[in-house]
Amino acid sequence: MFLLNSVASLVKDRRGRFSPLRAVTLAILCAPMLQVMVLAAIGGLGGRPVMEATHKTGDWAVYFLLLSLGVTPLRAVLDWQRIVPLRRMIGVASACYAGVHFLIYCLDQHWHMLTVASEIALRFYLTVGFVTLLGLLALATTSTDRMIARLGRRWKKLHKLAYPLTVLALFHYFLQSKADVSAAVFVAGLFAWEMLWRVTPHAARLNWWPVPLLAFAAAVTTAAVEFAWYGLATRIDPMRVLSANLDLSYGPRPAVAILLAGLTLALIAGIRRRWRQRGGVAMA
Amino acid sequence: MLIGKRRGWEIAERLATPEALMLGRRAALGGALAGGAALAAAPAQAQWNLFGSNAASNAPPVVLKPLTAPRLDRYPAGRAISAEADATSYNNYYEFGLSKSVAGAARALPINPWSIEFTGMVEKPRTIGFDDLMKQVTLEERVYRHRCVETWAMTVPWTGFPLSKLVEIAKPTASAKYMVFTTLADPKTMPGLGQRFYPWPYTEGVTMAEAANELAFITVGMYGKTLPPQNGAPLRLTLPWKYGFKSAKSIVKVSFTDKRPVSFWEALQDSEYGFWANVNPTVPHPRWSQATETLLGNDDRVPTQIWNGYGEWVAGMYTGLTKERLFV
Repeated sequence: MFLLNSVASLVKDRRGRFSPLRAVTLAILCAPMLQVMVLAAIGGLGGRPVMEATHKTGDWAVYFLLLSLGVTPLRAVLDWQRIVPLRRMIGVASACYAGVHFLIYCLDQHWHMLTVASEIALRFYLTVGFVTLLGLLALATTSTDRMIARLGRRWKKLHKLAYPLTVLALFHYFLQSKADVSAAVFVAGLFAWEMLWRVTPHAARLNWWPVPLLAFAAAVTTAAVEFAWYGLATRIDPMRVLSANLDLSYGPRPAVAILLAGLTLALIAGIRRRWRQRGGVAMA
Repeated sequence: MLIGKRRGWEIAERLATPEALMLGRRAALGGALAGGAALAAAPAQAQWNLFGSNAASNAPPVVLKPLTAPRLDRYPAGRAISAEADATSYNNYYEFGLSKSVAGAARALPINPWSIEFTGMVEKPRTIGFDDLMKQVTLEERVYRHRCVETWAMTVPWTGFPLSKLVEIAKPTASAKYMVFTTLADPKTMPGLGQRFYPWPYTEGVTMAEAANELAFITVGMYGKTLPPQNGAPLRLTLPWKYGFKSAKSIVKVSFTDKRPVSFWEALQDSEYGFWANVNPTVPHPRWSQATETLLGNDDRVPTQIWNGYGEWVAGMYTGLTKERLFV
């Protein structure tokens, strides 16, 4: 009953009306967890189901963290005010996925918490991951209405921690990868786009051209991050990785994917702009 | 009187799932799996590749031929044999993709015809056809424990012949110190080669002493059938006391040299994947503990044994090598 009430309150807007946008968001946030549960039940997670579930929940914790940081720029770029209240739900979901990710790791260690503790202390990537988890949980627990009211100004300061926590989450993602860090590089590219937007001068944001420009800037940053990682952390020749970006036969590499994603967003923003100018209705 | 002392990795016979039960359970699950297959295939394929190109190849399903050989009981595995479905569906084969689900893509592996080149410090460089090679060897089956550096493990009945027999056929000269194995690198059928910053082709090597060890094995089949492509058809190396990446797959070239080769993973990250790569629970990988291993299929976690439990046969080879990083 409590659960039903919670869900009901989650899909209502500030004025207590049912919000389809909130309902769809909640469904999207729950979908990956449901997928993992269904796959686990039918034996669809492969030879090492627990490891697979650990990876999947970790991936989604990062994706949703990045999505929560994307709300502010997307609101501006798409001129879509109504997504702002979704940010809290997305951020809390990210923390939940991180928590489940940790619990599944404990399950993988067969709940030998002494092993879990010593592994966290001994393996650098786990230390980084655990610190990130504690940070995310701190942000999630201070996300209730009451805590926001109680913390007042300090709340905003505290929640600026989302930025360094994202850096730590990405670092954890890179460190746990084998030689190939492409998946982590792609997410780092999304983060680069979000941060580059934040340093774009406010006056420029009113024009159409910063968005396609950001796509290129973020793609270059992505390639640079990738180049630096391979150069510093592996024995792979970073020049060869850099030049591989020009070869699309194996599918677009992370920097190229960021460029395509950024340009797609620019296109959507452009279409919306035209639509608005012709007096179209506001997007739900 | 025989007194059996159970070692750490051994479980009581009664704890092993009977094969029939295991297979029956899989059959029952089959129906459910078929329904979820479309759903399951997508996430299992998950890897870096936003817009695909990791699809199963258009090649027809591979027909595995029966390949029976007498089982050699000299090296008891001491634990239940892994389910065939797990051993043949959870694979690392980077030439076909970075995920563990490469079986579909690997169907394209062109194994007919196949030949192996003997080169380097040999009496006479030459190339031998796979069928020709098979006529010169006697096959046997060995159940070995397999331990991956990524901490998963399985137990597999391999069919093949001792590596020493291949050495004998290749005829290296006395100056050879290392034996080097090269995996096929065929850009037409192996999409992974498009990741050009990897040091293709896959190469691995062992010392001549290791090559002569009785455990070192050339595998041409598993579970009483010829090798599936994703497991390294038509022939691969099997070194049960070393981490799995040492056991090169789909070998097209065997060369002999007096210089230590730099193997594929060593070239990528020598701090994590060294030349020796012998299994040792007390030497952690830089990023994780090697103390325990997860058995494919049931997620059981069991203690890892030094030399993967094969010290009795291999430890002696390493007594003088105290300065080497034997376990990374």
